[in-house]
Amino acid sequence: MADLVSHPDEVRVVSKRFGKGATNIDRYLELDGYKAVQKALGMQPDAIVNEVKNSGLRGRGGAGFNTGMKWSFVPKQSPKPKYVLCNGDESEPGTCKDRLIFEHDPHAMIEGVIIAGLAVGATTGYIYIRGEYRYLLEIMQKAIADAYSRGYLGKNIFGSDRHFDIYWHGGAGAYEVGEESALMESLEGKRGIPRIRPPFPAVVGLWGGPTVINNAETLASVPHIILGGADWYANLGPPKNGGTRLFCLSGHLEHPGVYELPMGYNLKRMIYEVGGGILNGRKLKAVVPGGSSTPILSPEEIDVAMDFDSLTKVGSMLGSGGVVVLDETTCMVKFALRIMKFYQHESCGWCIPCREGTDWLKKTLTRFHAGGGLKKDIDNIQYLSENMLGRTFCPLGDAAAMPTISIVKKFRKEFEEHLDGRPCPFEKQGKIEELPVMV
Amino acid sequence: MPDVNITVDGKKVAAPAGTLLIEACKNAGIEVPSFCYYPNLSLQGACRMCLVKVEKMPKLQTACTTVISEGMIVATNSDEIRQARKSMIEFLLGNHPLDCPVCDAGGECELQDMAFSYGAAESKYMEPKNHKEEQQWSPVVYFDRPRCILCYRCVRVCGEGMDVWALGVQNRGVSSIIAPNQDDHLECEECGMCIDICPVGALTSGAYRYKTRPWEMNHVGTTCTHCADGCKTTLGVRRADTGMEIVRGDNRDKSGINGDFLCIKGRYAFDFAHHKERLTQPLIRKDGRLTPSTWEEAFEVIGSRLTEVRDCDGGQAIGVLGSTRTTNEENYLLQKFARVVLQTNNIDHHRTADFPAFVSALTERPEAAASMRDVYNAPAILLIGNDPTEQHPLLAWQIRNNVRLHRARLYVINSQPIKLRRQATSFLQIPTGAEAQLSSFLAGQDSAIDALLSGPTSRDEWISLREKLRSEPGLVIIFGSEIRGSDVVSLVKSASGIHDVKFICLGDYANSRGAADMGVYPDLLPGYQRLADPGKFHEEWGGVPRAVGFTLPEMIESATAGKLKAWYVVGANPVGRLALDPFAFSQSFVVVQDMFLTETAVIADVVLPAANAYEKSGTFTNTCGDLQLVKKAGEVTGTKSDFEIIVRIAGSMGYDVRKLVPFGRGMTADMGQSRGAQSGEVDRHGVWLEASGLELKMSPFDPMAILDEIQRLLPGYAVSRMDLLAGNAQHTALPAGKAGALHDPKLIVPADNNLFSSGTLGRYSRTLNSVIENRHKKPEELEVAAD
Amino acid sequence: MPVLKNIAAIAKGMSITFMEMFQPTIVENYPDGPGPLKGAKFQARFRGTHVLQRDENGLEKCVACFLCAANCPSNCIYIEAAENTAEQRVSGAERYAKIYNIDYNRCIFCGYCVEACPTDAITHGHGFEVATFNVSGLIYRKEQMLAPMPAHMGANAVFNQDEIGAGAPAVAVQGS
Repeated sequence: MADLVSHPDEVRVVSKRFGKGATNIDRYLELDGYKAVQKALGMQPDAIVNEVKNSGLRGRGGAGFNTGMKWSFVPKQSPKPKYVLCNGDESEPGTCKDRLIFEHDPHAMIEGVIIAGLAVGATTGYIYIRGEYRYLLEIMQKAIADAYSRGYLGKNIFGSDRHFDIYWHGGAGAYEVGEESALMESLEGKRGIPRIRPPFPAVVGLWGGPTVINNAETLASVPHIILGGADWYANLGPPKNGGTRLFCLSGHLEHPGVYELPMGYNLKRMIYEVGGGILNGRKLKAVVPGGSSTPILSPEEIDVAMDFDSLTKVGSMLGSGGVVVLDETTCMVKFALRIMKFYQHESCGWCIPCREGTDWLKKTLTRFHAGGGLKKDIDNIQYLSENMLGRTFCPLGDAAAMPTISIVKKFRKEFEEHLDGRPCPFEKQGKIEELPVMV
Repeated sequence: MPDVNITVDGKKVAAPAGTLLIEACKNAGIEVPSFCYYPNLSLQGACRMCLVKVEKMPKLQTACTTVISEGMIVATNSDEIRQARKSMIEFLLGNHPLDCPVCDAGGECELQDMAFSYGAAESKYMEPKNHKEEQQWSPVVYFDRPRCILCYRCVRVCGEGMDVWALGVQNRGVSSIIAPNQDDHLECEECGMCIDICPVGALTSGAYRYKTRPWEMNHVGTTCTHCADGCKTTLGVRRADTGMEIVRGDNRDKSGINGDFLCIKGRYAFDFAHHKERLTQPLIRKDGRLTPSTWEEAFEVIGSRLTEVRDCDGGQAIGVLGSTRTTNEENYLLQKFARVVLQTNNIDHHRTADFPAFVSALTERPEAAASMRDVYNAPAILLIGNDPTEQHPLLAWQIRNNVRLHRARLYVINSQPIKLRRQATSFLQIPTGAEAQLSSFLAGQDSAIDALLSGPTSRDEWISLREKLRSEPGLVIIFGSEIRGSDVVSLVKSASGIHDVKFICLGDYANSRGAADMGVYPDLLPGYQRLADPGKFHEEWGGVPRAVGFTLPEMIESATAGKLKAWYVVGANPVGRLALDPFAFSQSFVVVQDMFLTETAVIADVVLPAANAYEKSGTFTNTCGDLQLVKKAGEVTGTKSDFEIIVRIAGSMGYDVRKLVPFGRGMTADMGQSRGAQSGEVDRHGVWLEASGLELKMSPFDPMAILDEIQRLLPGYAVSRMDLLAGNAQHTALPAGKAGALHDPKLIVPADNNLFSSGTLGRYSRTLNSVIENRHKKPEELEVAAD
Repeated sequence: MPVLKNIAAIAKGMSITFMEMFQPTIVENYPDGPGPLKGAKFQARFRGTHVLQRDENGLEKCVACFLCAANCPSNCIYIEAAENTAEQRVSGAERYAKIYNIDYNRCIFCGYCVEACPTDAITHGHGFEVATFNVSGLIYRKEQMLAPMPAHMGANAVFNQDEIGAGAPAVAVQGS
């Protein structure tokens, strides 16, 4: 169990039950548990969808699509059964928020899935948990079993005429399966490879039925919206970016950890106030604002509001909320290499640019970092990344290309310092800090 | 479906709704490159080569997964798109071994073509390449792993197309690799479709590997000589010291009735032609031993002996056995030779299906014979008996694809749980041998149902199936040799109420249907015309013997009694196949024409080395009645085509060959070039022609001259000669009126070949044998069948 | 004065003749010159009879890709390919040329085969004395054209038929 951190600026919505023993169903009920779903049972499906739509809740997985809107795409009538999927395959380097939800508040996840099911008319939900989070499966299994034993799941939930079943499923260790259609393939027992879209999951998803698939944090936010109301939630953040968000601060910080802050919180303040500033008083070099897939920001760019739209304006993305802070001792070439190693390892191999591009870049960056770099390699790294960008089958290729492009653009000088067989200048200073990326 | 209008590169294009953008572009003559897209296989979007710009879409879109929509504006050739394609090639070539000089695909490689079209001539790649060792998956399939570009075509064609599912993908990312179903080797139907469909040289054929290069060969599209489906196979031939050697069979020419398909036999089993035991010299029995001799001597011996027997003992003392693997022209010529020159109707062949009964059942509506293409388009199919996956691979492919792509309904009734049941809407098992009762039941005789009931199917299910079949317009009924004689008639009768119903009767050998059509029967003339009513043939040939001749069992009986003085066997091995007593013919003068010294050839007095179907030209009729051209590809010095041999025997008997082969009439013949004759061959013919006082310009050895006569006398064969010569299949019509006959069902002996055996040809095919051995069976254990 | 004019013309003409008489001779003294080349001199670019090269391990460079034959305008190259086995390795790649013939009756020494060769296996040597009384002798087999084993493997490179005549091994020593 990870130690919990806190900061006065935090607005606790999703994390309000963290550390309060809410894994116990009785304790959960004491903390307003399962009230939202009972309220939702009394609502029309359209009303639930509208409530979520108006709350401005946007997908917490990375793409930031309006959740209510996504639900409204599910056809009302369908010959095939509809499904709700909770995407707990949290694998983005730098992101560790869903883990805490599963660990501290599993029933909120169940509640969120049931409400989503009520909203779209599904009677089956799946909670897919990342393979590496095997220890969380037990917590989740127990929570589901408890919910069944109380009659919150199964036939006639909460004494109503509605039925709902939830199954859990553990992943097998593939980043790619975090992509929603690959997750469905994996859940169906096939290779975790994304599907061709259209059709979108809302129309043809799991087992061919219309499917709502949402990030774990998104679904965990839903009960709070139902209970607290759309306006309350929307007003927590700036326009169109409703609510709060779990930010995962990691890297060279004095107080790294997961903090729930309102959307639109200033990044600079987040690093220096919430995170306690750079480790050992060193200088900041770069910030990854939303997980390793997002373009990095230089110190001059960090005075920015952490919401989807503001970050897009400065050429980056909010992503999954994994803020990674790099200090001046970090070698950016090695950082680029570490990221590329991850994507090369995780590429599913389905499409050419991602499969071959990540491998090529990894090899070039390895050679480059080892001192075998040529001047044309710098351009070539950029050339290859730009040719991957936007041309791959799924966003994994983009995720590998975007940070690389930004690193080469913003830290070209560091690449040049590696040229002509010179050893890595950062390793000269003695011990190099281990790279602050969680994989 | 209504047309949707789109604009591609400023060009207005209309295509039916639901068309993929890549297909719409292709139809408009705009090329969009792709590796992973393959028509009729599931979509992948993996190679990213077909990226195009669709207006109002932020990113480039894959044309292979985009369905056209009204008003779509597409650009396929901007700088951005060209750069995208170039970069895909660059990515691919990164880890590609670039061993084009030794790669079998070099010269016909899609990756080479694309690299040529989209630049990427200079490599930016400076890293070590990932290497993996080459693997041998089976005697005929090799996999050079680093060459693979992971387009997944092989995986899909094996699974979706062949329903074998022997290939898959292992690992992920850059270590992704195509893998066979059994660790390090394949257990499959060895069709080689994966090799054909591979855009690069990753999957290579064991038979052709490293032998030559594509441009070094001549490519001859001809008809396969194995089963009765009549696939078009393209043979790659090159010069060799014994003539022209066939080095490769593939499906380069996708215009045949088989489209993309070829099975193991069509692809690899051409190597019997170069077997070391192939006869290349006539053998004459001298002092009890077969002694190599010259053609002239052989013709002289045969001519004088046959003339002697005919003149002394009459035509009744001569028996002729035709072949199911010689061309239509040769079969026609043989029976004409028997009837006109030898003055006998004692002619028969190895019957594998009851075509005469089929014809007599359909005299009312001869148009109800389905073609192979109909099988692919029919809304519903009823398959009774046979196992097409083993015996008619193309038919099985057509059925599978019709079910997969057109959602056709397939009803399978069989005594065995055949593989096609996996595609069937309903599969009903019947007891072995109950096919006769089945056709009576389908014809409405409810009492016959008891014989069908031993399986799990209930009485009600049978009755509801019968009802369902009656309401299936456009049904194609396919039946194997289990249904014979009067059963055929009752089966046809049972379907009389179904609108637009069609039938296929399944024979076993490449030209079983042709032999039947050409009248290689003791009681039927070409076109199944009864001997009692010879009509045109009587006038045309100047008289036909009236007495009904001997069937094969009757010939044996007569020979045993010492009455059959001469026996002429063309391309058949009845001793080996039908287990005849080899001493039955010990008192007869036996002439055998064959490629090898078969069980029948060893009892002969004269053995003539014949050319096989890959070494001559003519036509084949497949089991559905589709007429196709056979083109000369290979050549083995010393052999002659059966056609030439028959003409030469007639000549040596003093018969005017002008009467036998009406050359110089109708569509004119030539010096043999149209048959693919080699230069030396033309000279050889020339010598004989001049010596015989014939015009050099026209040749009596030209099968096209006989085809003229066939087309003139058989109305069903009056198809477009132009289309035929262009290599297209032409569906022939069954004869109407009084034709066909009901024979003794016992005369039919199925060949029982499976996917890996093909009668005598299969025995002498090294590739087929190595595949069989590899499957832990010895070839001897398999039934030895004749052709 | 036409006579004087004629004499002047003759004198002018002869002056060139006499001038050239005392210039050094530039005609090559072939075939009466010294050495194995009998006085013949070559430019490096001279395209003589072909030499099939070996790599540093003594394996044949030719992989029987047929590109030289495909490129040959006079169609004088005949190749039969075969596959290397573990026991018998002839070339560096999977395939080698079992038979490699050049028909010098037809070869026009254009050098297209050399241009086309992806492995630099076929090169032009300096051999030029190909004349023969027997036409069939003009079809050179692979063994006649193959370079000897590399120097460190026991032989010096020979690029000229005459050098063979002067004692260089004509056929490469296998397996060294």
